[in-house]
Amino acid sequence: MEYFLFLVSSGLVVGATYGLVGMGFAIIYKATGIVNFAQGELLMLTAYIAFSLASSLSLSLVPLMIVTIPIAMVIGIVLERVFIRPMLGEPLFSIVMVTIGLAVILRGVTIMIWGPDPHEFPTGLSTQVVLIGPVPFYQVQLYGLATLAAVTLAAWAFFRFTRLGIAMRAVAANEGAAMLMGIEVSRIHMIAWALAAAVAALAGILFASMFKLGPTIWFEGLRSFPAVILGGLDSVLGAALGGLVVGLIENLAQGYIGQGLREIAGFVVIVVILMLRPYGLFGAREIERV
Amino acid sequence: MSASILSLTNVQIFYDRVIEAVRDISLDVAEGKIVALLGANGAGKSTVLKAISGTLGREDGEVVNGSISFGGETITHRRAADIVGRGLVQVPEGRRLFPTLTVVENLVMGGYSQAASQTRADLDRVYALFPRVYERRDQIAGYLSGGEQQMVAVGRALMAHPKLLMLDEPSLGLAPQIIDDIFDTIIALNRDTGLTVLLVEQNAQLALNVAAYGYIMENGRIVLDGPSERLKSNADVQEFYLGFGQSGTRKSMRDVKHYKRRKRWLS
Repeated sequence: MEYFLFLVSSGLVVGATYGLVGMGFAIIYKATGIVNFAQGELLMLTAYIAFSLASSLSLSLVPLMIVTIPIAMVIGIVLERVFIRPMLGEPLFSIVMVTIGLAVILRGVTIMIWGPDPHEFPTGLSTQVVLIGPVPFYQVQLYGLATLAAVTLAAWAFFRFTRLGIAMRAVAANEGAAMLMGIEVSRIHMIAWALAAAVAALAGILFASMFKLGPTIWFEGLRSFPAVILGGLDSVLGAALGGLVVGLIENLAQGYIGQGLREIAGFVVIVVILMLRPYGLFGAREIERV
Repeated sequence: MSASILSLTNVQIFYDRVIEAVRDISLDVAEGKIVALLGANGAGKSTVLKAISGTLGREDGEVVNGSISFGGETITHRRAADIVGRGLVQVPEGRRLFPTLTVVENLVMGGYSQAASQTRADLDRVYALFPRVYERRDQIAGYLSGGEQQMVAVGRALMAHPKLLMLDEPSLGLAPQIIDDIFDTIIALNRDTGLTVLLVEQNAQLALNVAAYGYIMENGRIVLDGPSERLKSNADVQEFYLGFGQSGTRKSMRDVKHYKRRKRWLS
């Protein structure tokens, strides 16, 4: 029982970072129709920047997140401007290929600047175990879950109640009509990248402080992919929940079935989901009126 | 004719730089009037509207010659958002609501170009005009009936405080009763608030009854224009658009042989 609870708790915690990365995927996909394969590299770059900030300014976790978010947003905006905007109007497949190229570039640049050796991420948090009921958590893990909850709530309110959030959904629903309303579609795309970069930064900081900051951290992006598919590629909130579920499945698979299964469990989930519910658990079905 | 609020001068439009969709079109919309732009499928009516709205770029279309001016200022290559901000608003063909958004959210998006503080009052104005829209306000727009969707589409455009409203085939696919309702509303808006309307229609009968002035397009050109009364009495318009024979009686479809007589305006 204890073993099970341990697997569940650490699964949820890893799942929280998947959820955050997944939300980034979903935000960009929803607003622009592009699957951004550089999401993991965005996480990598921003995590390393946060690492430099944390070591030079000796910030603790929460202030560090607050400082890193605007920097990440600027990076997102610049990347969209330089790499994606010129591709506007090209076939979606070409744009997706550009994001793959962008991923490789970001990976290279990051390793070039910070080197290939893994770093211990300074968080300033105690490593004391906190018991919540019978389940043990590290402090940083609790911060991770709280961040996911806060971001999910914020995203829900943003897309539901703010004009900008509704405009992003409108662009996703019908770009041409959105233009006729006076919505600047390119500005919406820019904001989507900024937001995706911001959640990527949060995920990166959390992941790095739970484990280690190393050059393979970009793989977190691909690992989060099952979460987005599970939630529905265009459902930001679905991605958050999908992340938790995939984190759980991965951990339980590893704990009870076998070591190697951790890596593939998530992708098994993708295959099953795509067969049963191609639009994901929360993705929009095409609305058809007969 | 009173001062024109929108005028197109010798506008030529290409798609993909090679396909000429519209050639040398000039038209004027007088302030406070309803003007109809008629023509069969593929005549280029919608292309003209897209050019005016500044949304041609999405489809690789481009105004290569001529100019479009609105309220005395040239808007030929302006961005769509800028054009909407000036009060030139289009209700696109086939409604084009945001299907996954609720009705209110659709309306709020219509007012995107306006100050947020105005939204409340503007919503009430639209609800007063279309009580049905008020009843449906919290439903997902994609599930409304065609007529309700058209009401939301018109209401959504009105949220932007149009000086000139462009309607692209508002009668498309709707029941006659609903069409009447919608046109009554448009006529009332024109009469009561002085809203200028540019109406694009295939249904010439309907459009010429509502409009004061009409333009007829064929193959990307304007072939005929004039006050509605004069157009209605034109023999070619009667035969090819209103479905009357030369004698003025309704023709049996069995006798319709368009190729028998060339349209005079083309020769």
